[in-house]
Amino acid sequence: MWAAFRSEMRKMWKRPATWVTLGLFGLMTVADLIGEYRRARKDPDDPFFLPDAWGQILGQEVMVGFIFASVLVILLVAAEFSWRTARQNVIDGLSKTQWYSAKVLLIPLLVALFLALRVAVGGSLALAGTDLSAGAGLFGTAQLSALGGMFVTGLGFASLALFVAVAIRASGPAMAVWFAWFAFGERLVVGGLGTLFEGLRPVLKWAPIMTFDRLRDYIQYDPEAFRRASEWAVEHERPVPELEALGPAFAGSFVWIAALLLFGWLWYRKRDL
Amino acid sequence: MTSVPGTPIIQTFGLSKRYRKTTAVDDISFRVEPGQVFGFLGPNGAGKTTTIGLLLGIITPTGGRFELFGGGSASDLHAARRRIGATLETPNFYPYLSGRDNLRIVANVKRRDAAEIERVLDLVGLGRRAKHKFKAYSLGMKQRLALAATMLGDPELIILDEPANGLDPEGMREIREIIRGLGERGKTIFLSSHLLSEVERTCTHVAIIQHGRIIRQDSVEDVTSHGVAGLRSADLEALAAAVAEYPGARWSKRRGDRVVAELEDEDLAVMNAWLAERGILVSHLALEARSLEDVFMEATGATEGDAAPGRSSDTGPGGHQMGEVP
Repeated sequence: MWAAFRSEMRKMWKRPATWVTLGLFGLMTVADLIGEYRRARKDPDDPFFLPDAWGQILGQEVMVGFIFASVLVILLVAAEFSWRTARQNVIDGLSKTQWYSAKVLLIPLLVALFLALRVAVGGSLALAGTDLSAGAGLFGTAQLSALGGMFVTGLGFASLALFVAVAIRASGPAMAVWFAWFAFGERLVVGGLGTLFEGLRPVLKWAPIMTFDRLRDYIQYDPEAFRRASEWAVEHERPVPELEALGPAFAGSFVWIAALLLFGWLWYRKRDL
Repeated sequence: MTSVPGTPIIQTFGLSKRYRKTTAVDDISFRVEPGQVFGFLGPNGAGKTTTIGLLLGIITPTGGRFELFGGGSASDLHAARRRIGATLETPNFYPYLSGRDNLRIVANVKRRDAAEIERVLDLVGLGRRAKHKFKAYSLGMKQRLALAATMLGDPELIILDEPANGLDPEGMREIREIIRGLGERGKTIFLSSHLLSEVERTCTHVAIIQHGRIIRQDSVEDVTSHGVAGLRSADLEALAAAVAEYPGARWSKRRGDRVVAELEDEDLAVMNAWLAERGILVSHLALEARSLEDVFMEATGATEGDAAPGRSSDTGPGGHQMGEVP
């Protein structure tokens, strides 16, 4: 399996799509966080320094990285069916299990890569505005937990991408289906079923995208950020955020990730190459 | 898994593949012995590629079974793949990688070292173009790269699916030379093709498949050893009709300005006398060597009751196949 993974690394490294997606996300991250940095320099009440800036660095925009990671998973996997290299790899001696396992190993790698890019760019910019002599902690348990939760969220979206890629076996349609599911499909289905069958609502809120989404709210991990967000909400007469129990969300996400990878594997194994 | 001496390299037992309404491979049985260059001949859509897909385990059979190197289980198949070099249909590589990088992927799967990549690249004459991307290769270069990939790991069995597809005569000659060289080195080669002359020039044994069924299999020497009688006469129509009725003819057909027939005993004197008794005077009567194309046309025509593509036919009064070559 490691031989197969080494091949995956070589393919990923040499694939222009890898550098295009990473480059685009890098540019978007730089543009976004430079904006934050410049705004903070003009407005002393909204500073951009560590550790407070982690709220912005690990904010909603992290999701863009997961979209790019998922698109890349689809491009790396589905294209193998169009080029028939998935078939040739098996002819050359890989078992179907080895082939699929190597693709599964790509998922944490890609999610980590996009997350690391955001953290590296944002952390560097925020560090420039941080008074290191103050002795405050730059990175603590709260940030580590938030990174863990976001990593699991990324794994969830990318696992969904792998499932769609092996099921559809063509990059364009697979991306369309993944995006439709992610952007509105699940909400439409859940909303429709919830209207028709009210009793199902407690179950429906554990649909995959909704489950993964629960883990990417930074204030749930950082008490200080949560306090600031609550104060801001009261001040601006907005709904005050609530602390959620993250344990079930983590468990639910892991169950969905395992299920998506398993269904993908069964689907891939059943069909002729 | 090691093969026992005398064990066939490939053996199939009633292998079948049915899709919903289509039977792609229908109850085929054949065996390929070590050292044979086995031609798998058939028109497009006959079931050649599906058969190879079944043998390589990438298509699941709906009936029958097969053994590679004497083993028939799933684990045997996985082990056997490491002893096989194979390409299926078109050369399948990563378009954005160079020829050399593509072979690195294959070598990594086959657990071979980098030195071997250079050896096979040189063998197929791609050494100087190895750094160029696969998508920039001509079809001939792609076919040669596929051949190089099959040779990585020095496999005992090489399976090639239409390796001369889309090649110009020079490219076909090069591929033929490489395959011959492999055969001379004792490799067992399973070569699928619809190009009759390629199979005749390259293979030691042949099986003919049509509509998913094997309709003839033997050594190339045996299938082409029986001669056919070639006849000419001033009245070709009358000659063709008479030959069609000749009891010693297995089949007959018009070919250009003559009639050809396969005789049961190859006794031309008896045939000449029989025709003369019916007032047919032949201006030419001789035994002619039979090509694989003749065998293929007979075999496919005999099964179908109609002519092969591009040819018309009718059944002569004698009951055997009667065809006309335009």
